[in-house]
Amino acid sequence: MAVTRVEVTPKQGEGMRDVRGDVVRRQLMADHNIKVDEVRSINGFLIKSNLEKSEITERVDDLFSDPIIEDVLTNTLFLSSSEHFPTSPDAAITIGFKPGVTDNPGSAAYDGFKTLFPHHDHQSDASISTYHTYAFFGLPDDVTVEWLASTLHNKLIQRAVTADAKGCLNAQWPSIDYPEKPPQIRTPPQRMDLEISDEELLSLSESGLLALNLEEMKTIQAHYRDEAIHQSRAAVGIVADAPTDVELECLAQTWSEHCKHKIFASKIHHIDPETGEDSVIDSIFKTHIMKPTHDMQKEVDWLLSVFHDNSGVIAWDDDWSVCMKAETHNSPSALDPYGGAMTGIVGVNRDILGTGLGARPIANTDVFCFGPPNWEGELPDNLFHPSRVFRGVHAGVRVGGNESGIPTVNGAIVFDDRYIGKPLVYCGTVGIMPRTLPDGRESHIKTPTAGDIVYMVGGRVGYDGIHGATFSSLELTEESPSSAVQIGDPITQKKMLDMVLEARDAGLISCITDNGAGGLSSSIGEMATYTDGCEIDLAKVPLKQPGLSAWEILVSESQERMTIAVRPEDCAAFDAMAQLHEVEATPVATFTNTGMFHVKYEDETVAYLSIDFLHDGVPQLQLESEWHTPTPELFTPETISLPEKAGHSNLLLRMLAQPNIASKESWVRQYDHEVIAQTVVKPFVGVERDGPGDAGVIAPIHGDPHGLVISCGIAPRYSDLDAGAMAAASIDEAVRNAVCAGINVDKMAGLDNFCWPDSIESVKTPDGKYKLAQLVRANRELERVCRAYRLPCVSGKDSMKNDYGTGEKKISIPPTLLYSVFGDQPDVRFTATSDFKKPGEIVYLVGVSKEELGASELSFMLRDSGETNGIGGQVPLLPNPEINITTYRALSTAIQSGLIRTAHDCSEGGVAVAAAEMCIGGRVGADIDIDGTGDASVWSRLWGESLGRFLVGVQPENEADFIKWMTGHPITILGTVTESENLTISDGYDVLIDVETNSMVEAWQKTLDMTGGVA
Amino acid sequence: MAAPKVAVLFGFGINCDHETAAVFNLVGGDAERVHVNHFVSGTRSLEDFEILAVPGGFSFGDHLGSGRLMGNRMRFALREQLHAFVAAGKPIIGICNGFQVLVKTGLLPGPDAQNPLPDFVQRASLTLNDSGRYEDRWVTLEFDAESPCIWTKGIERIDCPVRHGEGKFVMPSTTDFDALAANNQLVVRYVDPSTPVGKGMTDQPLPFPLSPNGSMRNIAGICDATGLVFGLMPHPEAVYAKWLHPDHTRNTAPGPLTSEALGEWEGEGLQLFRNAVEYVLGNR
Repeated sequence: MAVTRVEVTPKQGEGMRDVRGDVVRRQLMADHNIKVDEVRSINGFLIKSNLEKSEITERVDDLFSDPIIEDVLTNTLFLSSSEHFPTSPDAAITIGFKPGVTDNPGSAAYDGFKTLFPHHDHQSDASISTYHTYAFFGLPDDVTVEWLASTLHNKLIQRAVTADAKGCLNAQWPSIDYPEKPPQIRTPPQRMDLEISDEELLSLSESGLLALNLEEMKTIQAHYRDEAIHQSRAAVGIVADAPTDVELECLAQTWSEHCKHKIFASKIHHIDPETGEDSVIDSIFKTHIMKPTHDMQKEVDWLLSVFHDNSGVIAWDDDWSVCMKAETHNSPSALDPYGGAMTGIVGVNRDILGTGLGARPIANTDVFCFGPPNWEGELPDNLFHPSRVFRGVHAGVRVGGNESGIPTVNGAIVFDDRYIGKPLVYCGTVGIMPRTLPDGRESHIKTPTAGDIVYMVGGRVGYDGIHGATFSSLELTEESPSSAVQIGDPITQKKMLDMVLEARDAGLISCITDNGAGGLSSSIGEMATYTDGCEIDLAKVPLKQPGLSAWEILVSESQERMTIAVRPEDCAAFDAMAQLHEVEATPVATFTNTGMFHVKYEDETVAYLSIDFLHDGVPQLQLESEWHTPTPELFTPETISLPEKAGHSNLLLRMLAQPNIASKESWVRQYDHEVIAQTVVKPFVGVERDGPGDAGVIAPIHGDPHGLVISCGIAPRYSDLDAGAMAAASIDEAVRNAVCAGINVDKMAGLDNFCWPDSIESVKTPDGKYKLAQLVRANRELERVCRAYRLPCVSGKDSMKNDYGTGEKKISIPPTLLYSVFGDQPDVRFTATSDFKKPGEIVYLVGVSKEELGASELSFMLRDSGETNGIGGQVPLLPNPEINITTYRALSTAIQSGLIRTAHDCSEGGVAVAAAEMCIGGRVGADIDIDGTGDASVWSRLWGESLGRFLVGVQPENEADFIKWMTGHPITILGTVTESENLTISDGYDVLIDVETNSMVEAWQKTLDMTGGVA
Repeated sequence: MAAPKVAVLFGFGINCDHETAAVFNLVGGDAERVHVNHFVSGTRSLEDFEILAVPGGFSFGDHLGSGRLMGNRMRFALREQLHAFVAAGKPIIGICNGFQVLVKTGLLPGPDAQNPLPDFVQRASLTLNDSGRYEDRWVTLEFDAESPCIWTKGIERIDCPVRHGEGKFVMPSTTDFDALAANNQLVVRYVDPSTPVGKGMTDQPLPFPLSPNGSMRNIAGICDATGLVFGLMPHPEAVYAKWLHPDHTRNTAPGPLTSEALGEWEGEGLQLFRNAVEYVLGNR
C-alpha cells in the first residue's frame, strides 16, 4: 500500500496565530526561562491506503485542513517551501509515535477518511499516523536541538527527528516515515516446568515479571503435583503435570498485590516496645475497614453495596443511587505522565460503568502528589523533572475527563520532595443510576446465570498494556518496561459508555465489569465466580495487530474495554445496539457452572484452573511490624526573629506562596467542571471566581435542587511524626470540607485510598517493619475515627510499592492516605462557600486551637529555608471524634437552614491562611483577633493546624440565631469583615499581621501559574 | 397543543446531550436524545422533529479541528434533511461543539439574505483560543436586540460559562464581518460586565479573560440570515437555574426570573430555549 503525506500549518496573517507553536514557546519560557522569538507548528498525516495521491489531494480541504485557517501540502514538506517558510529556522524537530502506540488523532482521521471515501474498499491494515513538526526561530545559541527535542517528547512512546540551524540551511529537513509495526509470530502455549529449585522458581518469577514470591511459586508447584488435577487436565487435553504459560501468567495477574491486596490481607505480627503491645492482626482490611462498615450497614438502610463491586453504592433517594470509586495510576504516570494519567481517569470511569448493571459517571476528582515544581536539586536517573510530571499528568487528566464529558468537581495537589521518586495520581469518579431498571431489576445487583454469553466491548487487544498489574506491584527501576505505558482513547470509551447505558436501560445486561488490571483474565475470571465457571475462546478476541500469543491476549490491559454478559436471547438486540453506536462488541466466552476457568484457543485448551484455586489459592502473607515513635528535630519557631510591627505579615505572604497552599487555579480551570449542568459549588468561588472551594456540590437531576457533596482530605506530611495521626487528619479534613458545603453528616460515605512505600522487610527495605507499623497505626485510626463519625468506607484501593531505586539512592514516598467523602446534600439552594460575602459579616472560629505545630506547613517552610532546624513537635490529634461530629452536625444543619452562607475549612496554614483565603474570595478585608481561641502559643493559634476547626461568616441579622444554634459547641468570635483593603490579625493589643488583600491575591496566585501568560 | 418535538443529537463524543434535552423539557418542549446514526441510516427522520439541537462535547475528540468530523458526517449524510428542515422554518441551535459543527457544515453563517437557505459552504471557522488553553470560566454576554435570530428575542445580557479550547471565531476578511453585521447576524458578543447593559458590544478585541479566546469582534455566537439557525460557544443551558450561577451563595445571582418549573430560581439561560419553543408554537 502507498503512503501519502499530508501536512497542514496555520495560515499567517492579521489576527491569525500559530497557537500550538505559541504554547511551545511559552512553556520554554515558563519552565526553562528560555526566550525564543517564534515557534511555528506543522501537523502531519501519513495515510496508508490504496488511494492514489491525486484522489487524496482533491479532498484534503474536506478532512485534513480547514481552508479558512490552514494551508495544506501533499507529499511535500512545508519546511522545504520557501513560500510558506521564507526564513530558514534555527532548529526543526519532528515528533511522531513509535509503532503500536495509540494515535488518537490518527484513528479519528481514519474514521473521517472512511466517511469521505465511503465506497472505497478499505483494507484492514489501512490506517493513518500523525506527527508534529516545530520550527524554531530566534533560538538562543546555547540551546541544542537534542535538548529541545528531549523536552518535547517521551522516548518511551515517541520518536523525534531533528535538524539544527546548519541542517536547516542545507535543507536536511526532519522527516518521519509511517511507523510500521514489525510482524509478530504467535507462539503456541508453552509448558512451564516448575519441578525446579527454589532459586530457579524465584528467578522464573523475576525474569517473567510475575511478581510472585517463593511461597506463592511453591503453592503453584504443589498444585500441579496433585494426581486428581493431572487426571482432570488430561481429560481436556492440556499438559497435565505443569502449568502452561497462559496459566502461570493468569495466576500471576490474579494473585498480584494489585488485584489481591496481599499486604492488607496478610497476617501481621505487630509489636510496640513503647506500650509493650505484642499482637497479631489477621487482615488489616477485614479487621479495620470491612468489619466497621458491615457493622454500620446493619444500622442504616442506605448502604446498598459495599466492597465486592467495582465501586461502593449508596441509596441517594427513592429513585436514584450513587456510587464512587478512586484509583491510583502512579507507576504508569511516572513513566509517561500524560498517558499514565489519562488511562487513570478513563480507567476509573469504567469502574463506575461496571458497577451493578452499569452506572453513569457524573463527576471526577483528581488528587496529585508531586515533587516541588521549582525543584533545583539532583534528579535520579530516568525520572522526569516534577514540573514535567505535573504538566503531563494534568494534560492527561484534562483530556481524559473533558473529552469524556465528565466534570472534574474536586481535587487537590500536594507537593513534597519525596514524590519525585514516585508521583501519586489519584483519580476518582462518582456515578449515578436509577435504583430500579425499567425491567424491575435493582440496578446495584448483577444477575448472571450459566449460559450467558460474555462479550468484550470497546477497544481491541494489543501489546500495549501487558503486565500492568504485576508491574505496578514492583518498584520502579531503570529497566521498567515501556509496554506498561498506554495512552487512553476517550472517544472510543465515550461511544462505548453511551451504548452500554442504553443496553442497560433496555434490560440487555446481566453482568458487567471493566477490563483494567489483569485484562480478560481478571474481568472474566472475577465474573465467573458468580456462576462458578466460564469457557473463553481467545481466538475470538479482536486484536490491534495479529501475532499475539494466548497468554498475551488473556492478560493484556489494553484500554477502553468492558466485559459484559448477555442472555443468549438478548444477543441480537445487543449486537444491533453496538452497530448503531459503532462500538465493537464480540462474544468471547460463556458462563458455565463447571467450577472451572476454562480457556481455549480455538479447540485447544490453553488454561484449565479451578475457580477456587484461581481466586482463593494464594497463600496469606505473614509479616512483621514494629512501631517506634520517630524523633525528628523539634520545630522551634520562637527562635526566629521577626520584625517588630506586624511581624507575621511577611510570613503570611510566604505561606500563601507555598506550593501546597498556593492557588492551583490556572491548572484547575483547564478542567471542565460544569459539563452536565449540575455543578453548584465550583472548584473556585467568590466575587472574582478565584477563591478556594472546599468541596464540590452537584445537583445531578436537572430541575431538582437535591444535591450531592464530594470532598477529599490528604495530609501525608503528618506521617513524618505519626501515620496514625496522618490518617485521622485526612479523614477529618475530608469531612470538614463536606460540612462546609452542608453535607448531611448522617448520610455520607468514604473511600480509603492508601499509597505506601514497600512495607515488607527485606534487604532492599530494611525498615519494612516500621513502614508496616505505620500502616497498622493508620488503619487503627481509620477505624476509630470512621466509627465515631459513623462514616462507612464503601470502597478503596491500595498501592503498596511507591519507591524508587535502592540503597542510599532509594526514595520512598511518605505514607499517604487520600480519604474521599461523598454524601447527601438536602437542598443545594442552601449551601456555603469560603468567600467572605460583605463588610459587616461577623467571623467566628468553630473548634479549638491547640499547641499542635508539628509537621505543619509552617514548620516545613521554615525548615526548608533553614530558619529553623526541624519539623518535630506535637502533630494534630483527634482525641474525641465522637464530640467533633456533633459540632459538625450542628454547623452543617446551620448551613442547610440558610443561617450561614460562608464557611471555610481551617487546615494547612491555620487560622491565618484560612482568613486570608476568605478575604481573597470576597476581595475584602477583615479585622481578626485570635485572643480567646485557646491557651496555646501565638504561633499555634495563628499557624497551627489543629483538627476540627472552621472559620465561618455570619450576617449580623443572623448572629443571635447562629449563637443559639451552636449552643454547647466551641465557637469563638474572631472579628468582622471590613471595607478596608487589609486583613489585620491581632492577639489582643498585639497586631501580628496587617496585609493588603491585593498583595495576598498576588502572592497566592503567582507560584503555580506556569501557563506562561496569554500573549 | 402538543409540545414541540426537539431532537437532541448524541453519540461520537457529544456530551451535553442530557442537560440540553432537560432544558427544553423545562420550558415546555418534548426533547429526545437521538443518536446521529439514526438520522444517517434513516431509521429516524429529522422531518419528525420541530427543533434540532447539536449539543456541546468533543465529537470525535475534536481531532483535525473541532467539530470537523461530525460536520462532515452531517454535511455528507444529512444534507437534504437539513436543507428541508431550515426551509420548513424549523429552528436549529448549536452550542459549543455544536456551534463548531454548524460552522464546519457551512450552516453558519450560511449564504446571504437574498438566498438564505443552506448551501453547505464553510465561510468561517472556530480555531484555537489565543491562550492555547482549554478553559472553563464564566463570561458576560450581550445580545443584538435588532438581530433576526429567533432564539435570542428579548435577551439583553447574561452570564454563563465557556468551556472550550477552540472558540476563536474567524473569517477571512473584514468585509465578511461587515456583511454579517449589516444583517445583525453577529448575535452575541463577549462584553465587559462593568459596562452599562446595552452598551457593552464592541468590535475592538477585549482583553483576556473578558474575551476568553481572542475571537474577532468579540463574537460569541452568530445566526444565519433566516434567524433560525443559531450557534454560540458559551453554554446557556449551564445556567438554567440560579443555583448554578457562581454568585448564588452571595445572593447576587442575576434575576429575577421566575417560571413554573423552577419558581424564583430560574436561571438566565433558560429563556433562550423558551424562545424557540414559543416560536414553534406561534408558527403552527
